Amino acid sequence: MTDAPEQAPGDALPATAGDATPRRPDAVLAQGHLHPAILLLRLLDALRQTAFLVLFGVVFEPWFLVLAMVLFLVQLGTAVARYLTLEYTLTTDELRVREGILERQERRIPLDRIQDLGFESTLLRRALGLTVVLVETASGRGVEARLDALSRADADHLREVLLAARSDRLEGAGAATAANDVAGTVAPPPEPEWLVHASSYGELLLRGLTDLRLGGFVLTGFAAIELLDQIGLAARLAGVVDGAERWLGQFPPAVAIALLVGVVLLVMAFGVVTSTIGNLVQFHGFVLVLRGDVLQRRYGLLTTRQKTLPRARIQRVTVEQPWLRRLLGFAVVKADSAGGSRQQGEDTSGGWDVVVPLTRLPQADALLPALLPGIERESFGWQRGSRRLIARMALQGVVLAALAGSATAAAWGAWALVGALLVPLWALLGLLAWHNLGFALGGPFLALRHGIVGRHLAYLPTAKVQAVVVRQGPFAQLLGLADLTVYVMGGSPTRLPDLTLGDARRLAAEIAARAATAAALDW
Amino acid sequence: MEPAATPRPTERLQRRVVPYWLVADGFSALLLSGLAWYLGRPLLAKYWDGWSDAWEHVLLGACLGLVALAVLTPPLAYARWRFGFLGDLLLLRYGILFVEERAVPVRRMQHVDLVRGPLERLFGLATLVVFTAGNEGSAFRVPGLALAQAQELRDHIVEARGDRRP
Repeated sequence: MTDAPEQAPGDALPATAGDATPRRPDAVLAQGHLHPAILLLRLLDALRQTAFLVLFGVVFEPWFLVLAMVLFLVQLGTAVARYLTLEYTLTTDELRVREGILERQERRIPLDRIQDLGFESTLLRRALGLTVVLVETASGRGVEARLDALSRADADHLREVLLAARSDRLEGAGAATAANDVAGTVAPPPEPEWLVHASSYGELLLRGLTDLRLGGFVLTGFAAIELLDQIGLAARLAGVVDGAERWLGQFPPAVAIALLVGVVLLVMAFGVVTSTIGNLVQFHGFVLVLRGDVLQRRYGLLTTRQKTLPRARIQRVTVEQPWLRRLLGFAVVKADSAGGSRQQGEDTSGGWDVVVPLTRLPQADALLPALLPGIERESFGWQRGSRRLIARMALQGVVLAALAGSATAAAWGAWALVGALLVPLWALLGLLAWHNLGFALGGPFLALRHGIVGRHLAYLPTAKVQAVVVRQGPFAQLLGLADLTVYVMGGSPTRLPDLTLGDARRLAAEIAARAATAAALDW
Repeated sequence: MEPAATPRPTERLQRRVVPYWLVADGFSALLLSGLAWYLGRPLLAKYWDGWSDAWEHVLLGACLGLVALAVLTPPLAYARWRFGFLGDLLLLRYGILFVEERAVPVRRMQHVDLVRGPLERLFGLATLVVFTAGNEGSAFRVPGLALAQAQELRDHIVEARGDRRP
């Protein structure tokens, strides 16, 4: 770290916690208020939100001006009230956030429960030297407390003190015997940072280019159409479409199709370009560093983000390769703490879960030990799923084909037999899925691998497992197959389909036994 | 590997749960199909041009199927349900079309609720709702327990959790 904190965190702590006497309860380590500059931002926000109403008022009805005024005052009033009343206090036990005038509320978050600490700073906030502090707990709701905004120095101080206090608590709880010897050295100078990964521009560019989700683009399109509809342009738009149809009609069909394909390609290119720019902006200058036992990520061009992630809080690490990235040999690494929830393969806004935006697969594998200490990938004895998976998929294909065939037979006649193609297609998908399917128990970790064209790998510390479920659908019951689902805190459950029933049961029993042992040791 | 190697839960639900399910599910199935037949059918016949005898048969079939399902599933569900403790693990096994076997370490449970609806009280039954940390699928239910049995289960869980030292 470049700047050593003026107050070494340990100074405020009774560092001689080695003996049996607990440390003084509730010693205040840090305390503060929001930064006054936030009022300026809120003023701008309020102005921006009322601008439209004012415009309406000037153009159409003066009545809207009154509404705008009221809205403006309410917004500003709440902002001022929040600024005046919000106070945060960090003690050796908990983080307290107090706010409100009419309805006072005090939120107390025990330090043990804090999973992650995130910093976020938009361009404007950065210009004013402000940082939003996000506190995540294991509630699964994600952000538990949001301090918008503190000065940079206050935020840094809060983080340093929090991390120090927490590692102190862990030491006190975990190594009671060792604490006697270590007690004197409990407050070391800030630990050195180890650079785990820094993203190059090439990687980020490639991440954008291989981002196949056009979802954002489609959403923008919908929003645009809705806006047009609201302004009453939809009818005119329909006219334009009519005109375009007529205009296309004057060309021979081949040319018309080529034109349409061209338009679609253009739209897709636009999507790729926007997502590339979006990725570059979001993950600009991404670095992952390790300090002591805490991972830290820093990234962002316009909105800068910083997030700490204590390694002990990691519930699951995934190495994800959607098909295009797999083809090129690249992977994304994500880590779930118990804070948020997401589906596998899905991105959360802000990229909070991303540990490595994109890197070559061997490199991704090589940095796993930095995330999950003690993991030995060589020691994993990988086992495959059952080949009956292919039969299950084919069977599903038969059912689907029968349904599709009977539904379209009336209209299409003999052409409905085309639906029979679903059977080999589904069998092929089953074959691909079987190739990717695998599981392994290695040391204290469970590794799961699945995918069809792409491939997803998940590594779970078995000690963190909350529940294990073996599930059999109707087809699986016929074929003696079963799905295994492993639940951890936070993130969505990890599912491994189509093991043999025996394998699934054996694995589930093993994981459950380990989880129970770990749970007993936790306390 | 023979499945016998893995432990299975052995305890069953109260037999009373079958009539309870029959009444509860049967009532809602009858209500739903009654509404569809006596309210939905005349309305559809009046306002939908495509209505024909064939559709009427489909609707009748669906209604009868719904009632039949509500009558047939309770005994099957009862026959399938097993639960039990294995050391620090709570094991469950249930489901007809989709069979689930669930293993949850007792110490990972966050809290336990004991729920008794009005109809359940009439049958002298109770449902245990157990929450673990997590988002999806983090809560599960053990229905059809006698009240004393449910309380015993709950106390067992709370006790196991209470063993811990701060």
